[in-house]
Amino acid sequence: MIRPQAVRTPRPVVELTAVAKEYGEVTALRGADLTVRRGELLAVVGPSGSGKSTLLNIMGTLDRPSAGTVRVDGHDIDALSDRELSALRAGTIGFVFQQFHLAPGVPALDSVADGLLYSGTPRGQRRAAAERALRRVGLGHRLHHQPHQLSGGEKQRVAIARAVLGDPPLLLADEPTGALDSRSGAVVIELLNELHEAGTTVVVITHDRDIAATLPREVRVRDGRVEHDSGVRQTPRAPVPQEAAR
Amino acid sequence: MSTPDTMRRAGRPGARLPVTARPPAPPRPVPARMAVRDVVRAGGSGLRSRPLRVFLSALGIAIGIAAMVAVVGISSSSGENLDRRLSALGTNLLTVTPGQSFSGDRAQLPAESVAMIGNLPAVESVSALGKTDAKVYRNDHVPVQQTGGLTVSAARADLPGTVGADITDGRWLNAANGRYPAVVLGARAAAQLGVHRAGPEVQVWLGEQWFTVVGLLAPNELVPDLDSSALVGWTVAERELGFAGRPTTLYTRAEESSVPEVQAVLGATANPENPSEAEVSRPSDVLAAKEATDDTLSALLLGLGGVALLVGGVGVANTMVISVLERRSEIGLRRSLGATRGQIRTQFLAEALLLSALGGVGGVLLGIGVTGGYALSQNWPSVVPVWAMAGGIGATVAVGGLAGFYPALRAARLPPTEALATS
Ligand SMILES: Nc1ncnc2c1ncn2[C@@H]1O[C@H](COP(=O)(O)OP(=O)(O)OP(=O)(O)O)[C@@H](O)[C@H]1O
Ligand SMILES: [Mg+2]
Repeated sequence: MIRPQAVRTPRPVVELTAVAKEYGEVTALRGADLTVRRGELLAVVGPSGSGKSTLLNIMGTLDRPSAGTVRVDGHDIDALSDRELSALRAGTIGFVFQQFHLAPGVPALDSVADGLLYSGTPRGQRRAAAERALRRVGLGHRLHHQPHQLSGGEKQRVAIARAVLGDPPLLLADEPTGALDSRSGAVVIELLNELHEAGTTVVVITHDRDIAATLPREVRVRDGRVEHDSGVRQTPRAPVPQEAAR
Repeated sequence: MSTPDTMRRAGRPGARLPVTARPPAPPRPVPARMAVRDVVRAGGSGLRSRPLRVFLSALGIAIGIAAMVAVVGISSSSGENLDRRLSALGTNLLTVTPGQSFSGDRAQLPAESVAMIGNLPAVESVSALGKTDAKVYRNDHVPVQQTGGLTVSAARADLPGTVGADITDGRWLNAANGRYPAVVLGARAAAQLGVHRAGPEVQVWLGEQWFTVVGLLAPNELVPDLDSSALVGWTVAERELGFAGRPTTLYTRAEESSVPEVQAVLGATANPENPSEAEVSRPSDVLAAKEATDDTLSALLLGLGGVALLVGGVGVANTMVISVLERRSEIGLRRSLGATRGQIRTQFLAEALLLSALGGVGGVLLGIGVTGGYALSQNWPSVVPVWAMAGGIGATVAVGGLAGFYPALRAARLPPTEALATS
């Protein structure tokens, strides 16, 4: 399912060029290149410590690279201040983490509504959108449940609902199934697939080779580099044209 | 707020491709303003999840504020009580005493001083008391030395009207009984002489003869000297007690608006020959000075309240530091949702302010309660000035702001990835 603008080669959602990241002595990324086009769904795989999370954080503007260029939704993030990056995250990027990050004692509806807290949306609209988002992830019957009353899979679906509340063009998920059993994990992956089909660009880190194999594109990271990029596979599900050399 | 890194790279010719090959750069993202209600709600969210800790650190603030409000409240209540008592007693009573003569004798006022003062304009009434050398005893067996500090004075018939003396039993000296050995006892004098009521059969041994107690006086706040006096009629004193008829204290009621003017001329009028000897005083001022709240004690208590408030502030700071440490991942999440550093800072500052404002409101209420309870026990009106309440709340806001500032700054400075990495 391709949206019309995807055919007209719009600007990529994410463009990493020769991105490096050092933490003191440790080099987490060394010259990683990656382009993610609008409407893609791709898996990032690689051994532990290979730099996947670092890559995702940089794509999500949570961190700045030590070297290289990062463009998100057309913005050179090097040219943006911390404030502007925050605004970019508020409007353009949704995050899903392995640990859910749901505040204890807060009902699902309120947690999800916080997804638009920093976008200037009035509270009533935020809550209405949160209810819709929770129904969309199949949790219409869990609106007022607190985290301790939800299963792991349900918690992750709440977190996903929060991440996509404002319909961000880019959804970044760092091992969203890492803390879940395979059944709940499958539900979460199915949900990401649905979001992708509805037009959201999704990047998901996973350790699960089977999951990675079912997704339209697979990027393998090793030693801080993109070691292998399957490109967009010709699948009936996501017939996006093979990424051409720019 | 533009950071140096904006400057660093903004003008760099960083494009590797010709500018025309790329779609025009989108407008720079601008953070949305948060509604005040959302800021308050975000600040409150941190408090709601930890009610006990919030209660305890708000209590610290509350104790400080309560102490300060109560000190101010109690002193205002006592002042209000004094004001009401004084206005009931009247503040226009003036007394003249002869003072000391050069020879050191107890000086006396001329017999005609009463009439002369009465002629002054703006004088409403004037009366006099003349001390005698007579002593009063319970009966004729009591040794002469045991006077008990009681004095015997000659009183003019119009004395009660001028000084405002109340009779609790019997009657005041009048033209009829004033000529016979009759006495009216002040409250302390009556108690000391074992007299509980007036009547023809109640007698005391006064000036070597029996005097009949015809009346008892209520304690007099304005002229406490009356309490320890046995008062006899002017004529009887002259006839039976060797009293020379010269007043030792004059009591004058002046018109309320002319008290200072009357006070200025009273000495000279009472004793024209030695105007500098006469001492003029205003009993209501003396009473006010005696009863005025001890300012040094109030200041000390206020200082202690301030110290308690400071300790409470340290408690709030401590709570906030812990709160920031515990909620690193929440901070990271909020940054990932698009919160700017400023919004994180504001959230934690709002939390600290709410926390201490909670303590402040509680403290003011507690202070009002303490003031009310104490005033009730003292039979005072309860008064807490509005400025004390406003000041109390204002002080907590200042304390909260100071206490929350550093923790909020730390929360805002936390890099998002580091914040998210803590679980
Ligand atoms: N804040 C940091 N300070 C120092 N070193 C870091 C920091 N963050 C990451 N690293 C290092 O950078 C490297 C890449 O880390 P990263 O978290 O990106 O790996 P990963 O591929 O996500 O691993 P995993 O699959 O275990 O999550 C690792 O060697 C890690 O130790
Ligand atoms: Mg990782």
